[in-house]
Amino acid sequence: MQDIFSRLFEMTALGDITFKTVIMWVIAFVLLYLGIKKKYEPLLLVPIGFGVLLANFPGANMGIVPSDFVELDAGRYKNLFEIAHDYGIMNYLYYSLIKTGFLPPIIFMGVGALTDFGPMLRNLRLAFFGAAAQIGIFTVMIAAIYMGFTTKEAASLGIIGGADGPTAIYTTIMLAPHLLGPIAIAAYSYMALVPVIIPLVAKTLMNKKEFTISMKEMDKKYPPKHQIKNLKTVKIVFPIALGTVVAILVPSSVPLLGMLLFGNLVKEIGTSTSRLSEAATGPIMNTATIFLGLAVGATMTSDVFLTPKTLGIVVGGFIAFAISISGGILAVKVYNIFSQKKINPLVGATGLSAVPMASRVANELALKYDPKNHILQYCMASNISGVIGSAVAAGVLISLV
Amino acid sequence: MGQNLGDVISIMAVGMVTVFVILWLVVIIGNVIIRITNKYFPGVETVKTQRTQTSEMSSSGKIAAIVAAVDIVTNGKGQIAKITKV
Repeated sequence: MQDIFSRLFEMTALGDITFKTVIMWVIAFVLLYLGIKKKYEPLLLVPIGFGVLLANFPGANMGIVPSDFVELDAGRYKNLFEIAHDYGIMNYLYYSLIKTGFLPPIIFMGVGALTDFGPMLRNLRLAFFGAAAQIGIFTVMIAAIYMGFTTKEAASLGIIGGADGPTAIYTTIMLAPHLLGPIAIAAYSYMALVPVIIPLVAKTLMNKKEFTISMKEMDKKYPPKHQIKNLKTVKIVFPIALGTVVAILVPSSVPLLGMLLFGNLVKEIGTSTSRLSEAATGPIMNTATIFLGLAVGATMTSDVFLTPKTLGIVVGGFIAFAISISGGILAVKVYNIFSQKKINPLVGATGLSAVPMASRVANELALKYDPKNHILQYCMASNISGVIGSAVAAGVLISLV
Repeated sequence: MGQNLGDVISIMAVGMVTVFVILWLVVIIGNVIIRITNKYFPGVETVKTQRTQTSEMSSSGKIAAIVAAVDIVTNGKGQIAKITKV
């Protein structure tokens, strides 16, 4: 009888629950709470949170194992059947869809099909502020070296400052896959906190006069040289031309940027490719998001997550975000010194990605100071260029680090 | 650490310059495409056509609202042929 109870106890996971397991459950519950109740990036935080939970059920065999476990001799790896057999289906998903770098570009294709380059094409000079706002990526990379991260880990940490989830995940997969969980969590959490971080940084760096700069008034005073007569044609040619030039100059950014531009092209062509566009933004993107979220969450086992490096990533990620926003604002302020046609520095603050939330937040902030000052379309210009900028920065990091 | 830091600073310089160059190219490419399309493919002025077809409706704001509503409901596939007051 006692033997039966003993075997019954062994069948359950009760004996394997440790203090660390409970901490990971609490972290999973917090992520699920933020996603479900607070609606912070629920499409990503809910799958990631549940992935954390799955990975930390003792005996469920759902946690992602380090790559040494699947590595054979001479740089060869176990095949997917062996991985599924030895380590379960979550490792099968991770090593086939995430470790290969497959899903982030697929999500980027959907993002491209949801993106409208129109605001950027109408205000092309604002694209430069998407470059200035990438400074947080590289600054935090230097700080991370001081904190004891290796160069590859520092680059993965810095890319959080690009405020682009798929870019952060893709770069981390390429450079420091063991940090994927904490970096993905930090990236998406701070993206969800954009409504808090942008006002915080903007109010620190800007005065009331700058908040009330009206972009529309400036456009009336100093109208743009060229009006677009055929926006549809411009929007179709633009992704093809840009993709070609970027592919020649920064080929390592092509998996992300190329898929973004392809997604955008099928959207802009219109009716004849609308089925492709609908697939990219609907079933494909949704499926990719589920698998990406669950598999990234499953990388966060207690052994990997409960380390001092995670704390460094959380702090470093916030600093990267704040510096990127500051970089954009300060770049506009410098520009305003030399130009008669002033730009609202909030446009610079949206130079980091986080499309379109950053633009919405900046617009609401401008409206608080002047209820007639709608700057959304101008913010979208630098916001979209920020997506291109962060993908290029990721390409540079992957190539050089 | 010193060597590492030196490398990272060079990566920062190269990275920021590359990002600026690419976005500068975005501006150049955009402007070139706009100029070429303006010159060779100026397109049809759809707004004028719609206005002549809907001369009974004086408010351009109402027309814009109807066009936007049809665009959203039909996912950009629908076109307005005629607008009449009921």
